Amino acid sequence: MTFRWAMLAPVLTITGVAVGFPLGYALYLSLTDYRLTSRGAPDFVGLENYVFVLTDPRMWNAFSNTAVYVIVAVALQTVLGLAIALALQKQQWARDLTRAMLLAPMFITPIAVGLTFRFLLNDQLGAIPAALRTIGISYDFFGPGNAMITLALIDVWQWTPFMVLLLLAGLESIPRQPLEAARVDGASARYTFRRVVLPLLTPVLTVAVLLRSLDALKVFEYVYATTRGGPGTETETIQYFTYQTGIQFFRLGEASAVAFVLLAIVMTLIVILFRRLQRSSAR
Amino acid sequence: MIRRLSPWSVARALLLWVAALTVTLPLLWVALASFKSPAQLNDPGLVIFNPNLANWARVLEAGILESAGRSAMVAAVTVAISVVAGSMGAYAISAYKAGGSATRFGILAAQVLPPAVLVFPFLTMAYALRLDTTYVPVIFAHLSFVLPVITWFLIGFFDAVPRSLEEQARVDGFSRFAAFRLVVLPQVLPGIGAAAIFGFTLSWNDMFYGLILAPTQETILPVAIAAFNTFRGVELGAMSAAIIIAVVPVVIASFFIQRRLVQGISGGAVKF
Repeated sequence: MTFRWAMLAPVLTITGVAVGFPLGYALYLSLTDYRLTSRGAPDFVGLENYVFVLTDPRMWNAFSNTAVYVIVAVALQTVLGLAIALALQKQQWARDLTRAMLLAPMFITPIAVGLTFRFLLNDQLGAIPAALRTIGISYDFFGPGNAMITLALIDVWQWTPFMVLLLLAGLESIPRQPLEAARVDGASARYTFRRVVLPLLTPVLTVAVLLRSLDALKVFEYVYATTRGGPGTETETIQYFTYQTGIQFFRLGEASAVAFVLLAIVMTLIVILFRRLQRSSAR
Repeated sequence: MIRRLSPWSVARALLLWVAALTVTLPLLWVALASFKSPAQLNDPGLVIFNPNLANWARVLEAGILESAGRSAMVAAVTVAISVVAGSMGAYAISAYKAGGSATRFGILAAQVLPPAVLVFPFLTMAYALRLDTTYVPVIFAHLSFVLPVITWFLIGFFDAVPRSLEEQARVDGFSRFAAFRLVVLPQVLPGIGAAAIFGFTLSWNDMFYGLILAPTQETILPVAIAAFNTFRGVELGAMSAAIIIAVVPVVIASFFIQRRLVQGISGGAVKF
């Protein structure tokens, strides 16, 4: 039985060094007044950073921006992803090529995607506003009120393929018997989908939404590539706000506190979802 | 035989065509822009023009290939460590239920940590250990998300290998480790290949850690691409060429692993 632990040791050691230690150290940083610029040893300040960031309207602004982003992006991805996965499952002609092509965006570095759309949607130089102008529509994608939605749409472009990938895997592992039974009983396609396919797909769908939401919470590259938080602070997301606090203003203590508030929220979300998942699989 | 075209199959084909165009057109437009002169860039609708290679010369001169090389090096080291440690760990978890469900949950939890939590400890440690001019901090940071993904991914592939294979090898006089290395491991080689390519793209694509932890003079690829956005205003033509350089290798790689990716995900990640 020592063999299993010996085999597990490398993973545990590396995870300990690359995740466990930084996590503990970040917790320590969040309790000090550590600044990258100051030479002396940091002072222990207790929960001061937490009190500061929790009462900082900029942080709450960043949280609500991120919430809008995650909800819009993931909702659209789920609907589109499900539709495309269902269509792909039936697709016979050029099957592998179609799949590979539709999955491609999720492999591209997000900064390149962000810059592509910054260029493509640019008011003067971009193809899409130019095309819209020819049919008489003027729309500023990165203007006030629009920018956050534009960022969410960029997320949809890049990450709907991830949704498709998971849901396709889920659809292909659905057992044949219930589908056959529904067909023999003369159920309509719509009825079969709602009463047979969707319930069987629910666990996969939940995992897909969870993974996508967690990843969308980390949005940084698109903001960095396009708006840099603007106009004003309209598109400042949590990850971008943390980056600014820590790297541009050198206040590592506060930045770490923000990160832990985020972590607490993420963990709560996961626990709630796991509970629901267990309940639905127990049924 | 007459094929009846139902409205559903028309809608299905239409959806796939629209999706395919939505994916390809932006990238084609950027590829087109990389051959345009600054004056031509002011005309977004311009499709037929005399292509010039000035933008490409410009990005190559700026050292984009060196940056790509550094990104590839960081990704290769990260993946090599992850594949060795990850395949051993995944086997222990799959075959011996090592650590029970706590290990599985721990691996998933490591994946969800926001990079903003981990990056500052990496930064202060890099300074304290005088490693801030090397790629060691970036590699460790990348290990924090590549290793869990690869391990998670491989569990599903090991689950598919019959246990009798290892037992037979043990009867034939192999040690446990030899049975793993010489008998079980070759069975999951395709899975390891797919996991390695997937892990490589994860590391290759990361900008957040690279921006903060990599040496400022010797940037990795995503940071180098972003630099065309800020350095002396926006150099759109050069930026387009740089984007294409970053996109092409991973899209080619994705074509090869797409089928196994579905398998790896339905094996490891989606099962609860």
